[in-house]
Amino acid sequence: MAEVQVKDDGGKGGKVRSKKQNTRVDMTPMVDLGFLLITFFMFTTTFSKPNVMDLGLPAKPKPDAPKPEPTEIKLSNSISIIIGKDNKIFYHQEDQAGLNDQTLVETNFDREGIRKVIEQAKARAADKEKFTVIIKPTDDAVYKNFVDILDEMAVTGNERYGVTDIKSWEEAIYKKKVGQ
Amino acid sequence: MARIKPKRHGVVTDMTAMCDVAFLLLTFFILTTQFKKPDVEQIKPPSSISEKLLPDASLMTINVTPAGLFYFQPVENSSERIKLLDNMAAKYRLPAFTNQEKVAFTKVQAVGVPMGQLKSYLNLPEDKQKAFKATEGIPMDSTNKQLIDWVQQSLAVNPDYKLAIKGDVTTKYPKVKGLFEGLRDIDFLKFWLITSQEKSN
Repeated sequence: MAEVQVKDDGGKGGKVRSKKQNTRVDMTPMVDLGFLLITFFMFTTTFSKPNVMDLGLPAKPKPDAPKPEPTEIKLSNSISIIIGKDNKIFYHQEDQAGLNDQTLVETNFDREGIRKVIEQAKARAADKEKFTVIIKPTDDAVYKNFVDILDEMAVTGNERYGVTDIKSWEEAIYKKKVGQ
Repeated sequence: MARIKPKRHGVVTDMTAMCDVAFLLLTFFILTTQFKKPDVEQIKPPSSISEKLLPDASLMTINVTPAGLFYFQPVENSSERIKLLDNMAAKYRLPAFTNQEKVAFTKVQAVGVPMGQLKSYLNLPEDKQKAFKATEGIPMDSTNKQLIDWVQQSLAVNPDYKLAIKGDVTTKYPKVKGLFEGLRDIDFLKFWLITSQEKSN
């Protein structure tokens, strides 16, 4: 190792013998530096890649194509989720006649909130294979809410979901609830 | 009789092997690292439980800022970028771009100006381009779908391109919806939403 060689000067002034030089070099600082750089590069590689979420949109129906049979989804076999402003979220399982202030229920994005609602609705559904979640973001919603709901679909393992515009009768109740 | 003094040893380890390993790893990481380019604007993507990583495939990115402005980030490949620029110029009947502007276009991080202003943007010096903050972004509404044209023309150059959309947490949904509808119009239905990692709960 590269130690400091203290010249021994004391005592007899005999023949100065050239001391055998040690050829070993202290590698500790080099190793330190090496590991420092490794750490740096490791962190930069791991964090530079963002995660992604798949999204497939339904194709727009061609104007000349024949109209497909309208798919009937039973109300009890589906749940409509309305994403409102200020991270508010509402759900219902009603049609136009049945929807009112009481049946449009507010919940939140927590684990105990919307996830439970979806799971319970799925458990109640008659045909669990075809249980459908209809996502209706209002114009007040932010992008985060939308991604959160899609994420919730992934968490609850719901393959069947659709994103659509809010119906005017739903919007009326929603507006009433948020007080507009 | 002189007593034999035990030779004093310092606690010395041979670091050569460790050093070798360290630098081997270092070389590996240096060679595999791809540095993240500085973002045009601060965008905080929403979190999701998805663990899928953004693939390396030729990727174009649409950035949506919190204010709802759109930036389009074309693919990295220079020659294909130039083709894309030519296509866009032809589509908007703009005078052809000079070679200098084309070179500038291969270097831009993201486009955040309408087609009409692209020429003057490309003629800005490089440092000014970096500091440039879009005031209107790429137009994307029902009458002027330049953003969709960028995507469409990119796909015309190479249909294998993939699209990723990076939106901010606070981006208004109608902006994103408009973009989705536009993508449906050109029948481009599969893309990725960039999210950040969240712990599954």
